[in-house]
Amino acid sequence: MTEASRIERVWGAITARADALGVPVSLRVLCETAADRLSISGVAVVIQGGFVASELICVTDALSRRLEELQLTLGEGPTLDVLGGSSAILVEDLDAPGYQKRWPLFAPQAVDTGVRAVHVLPLHIGGIRGGALALYTDHPARLPSETLAEAWVFAELALELLLDEQAGIGIQNGYVPACWQFETPAEVHQATGMISVQLGISVGEAFTRLRARAFADDRPLSELALDVVARHIRFDHEDTG
Amino acid sequence: MRHLVIIAVPPEVELMNDERLAHTFVELADTLVDEFDLVEFLHVLVDRCVELLDVSAAGLMLADSRGRLQVMASSSENIRLLELFQLQNDDGPCLDCYRTGKPVAHPDLAHARDRWPQFAPAATHAGFRTVHALPMRLRAQIIGAFNLFHTNPRQLDRSVTRIGQAMADVATIGLIQERSLRHHEIVVDQLQTALNSRILVEQAKGVLAERRGINPNDAFILLRGYARNHHHRLTELAAAVVDGSTTATELLSTTTPHLE
Repeated sequence: MTEASRIERVWGAITARADALGVPVSLRVLCETAADRLSISGVAVVIQGGFVASELICVTDALSRRLEELQLTLGEGPTLDVLGGSSAILVEDLDAPGYQKRWPLFAPQAVDTGVRAVHVLPLHIGGIRGGALALYTDHPARLPSETLAEAWVFAELALELLLDEQAGIGIQNGYVPACWQFETPAEVHQATGMISVQLGISVGEAFTRLRARAFADDRPLSELALDVVARHIRFDHEDTG
Repeated sequence: MRHLVIIAVPPEVELMNDERLAHTFVELADTLVDEFDLVEFLHVLVDRCVELLDVSAAGLMLADSRGRLQVMASSSENIRLLELFQLQNDDGPCLDCYRTGKPVAHPDLAHARDRWPQFAPAATHAGFRTVHALPMRLRAQIIGAFNLFHTNPRQLDRSVTRIGQAMADVATIGLIQERSLRHHEIVVDQLQTALNSRILVEQAKGVLAERRGINPNDAFILLRGYARNHHHRLTELAAAVVDGSTTATELLSTTTPHLE
């Protein structure tokens, strides 16, 4: 597998599915494609709540919904750990003693419900915590590295869709996720930090504002970011940009 | 828990400043304790490489889950831009090295236009003439590339390649924790985590730059210095800066201008 084409393959599979269904690309289509391609029983996307509980925004099946709801009810589980700041959690078999001990309430009930393997990836961009992508399997399973690499691409694209939706960027025909175009230069993240101070908002909101502005001005994100870092553009009085 | 790190020191090392080299390896091995900070570790590594190998600049790139390289650490700003240039134009020795898994070197970039039509002129324009790109390898997997640049055209020195490769191996050890040596599936997650730490530091640089009216490079110097002097892990301090939590209050306050 050539490395550079992984994101193209994944995005191609998502758009092909959307086309076949005659619907626009959405988080739901992304999750269903992930379930198919990764041979996973169920996929869930959970977004980071503020002070209230996290929000389950997309599930492919009843099993995944049950598993996510179970974690919220019990207050423990791998998705909650990832939302709390943990890096990826890869569980080959929830029935193993280590996991039964780690999540004494959740693990036995999850196994009873019919789930054995769970892989949860964070939807993170530095300090921006968007949520988590959870993959459930009804038998013990260790995802091979290529599958796991694809899962990370699904997670990255899911976060892109979430951010673009928040930034009011329409996902219609010809939409290409920004992360695909180039590797993101450091300036994009530096500009995000600067804008968060200028506007007194979180880095997540700042990133959304930066993307919305780039989209509105029809400029590449990296180019706009360079202007912010060079202090040619400020966001606290946008009209002067 | 401390990691046991065994580093094979190449024989050429004897020809160099033994004490300085030994000191560097001890410093790096010392950094590799549990809870060490990866971003800081890799910056120390590229800086020491520049001193030890008498090269002008060093940069380190890692592959993300998409299989694309990202600049993870660089000894200077112009080398970061040059690394970025390679990635954006899909042309250059570091990419060749990453794709083939083999060391790539050229003694004079002024005569390398045939090989790298875009990179070679850009590199010479930036003042660099010699390049060594060394693979970062974990078993069969290539996880990144380690690159050394020199401003003068010069004969390719085997000791630079050998010691540089030893440094690249140390960087790989730093990236990959013990358990992943058994489960290579986990490597992709650790690389993602490493790259995410780097992004966090960039965001923190932006926050600090804006708060204190300085440029991001000076913000980074301030951030690193503060982390060292106050015994914070760089990534944790960066997170505190981004979240505005109490650990970073002093650093973010504009009324304490002379921090180091």
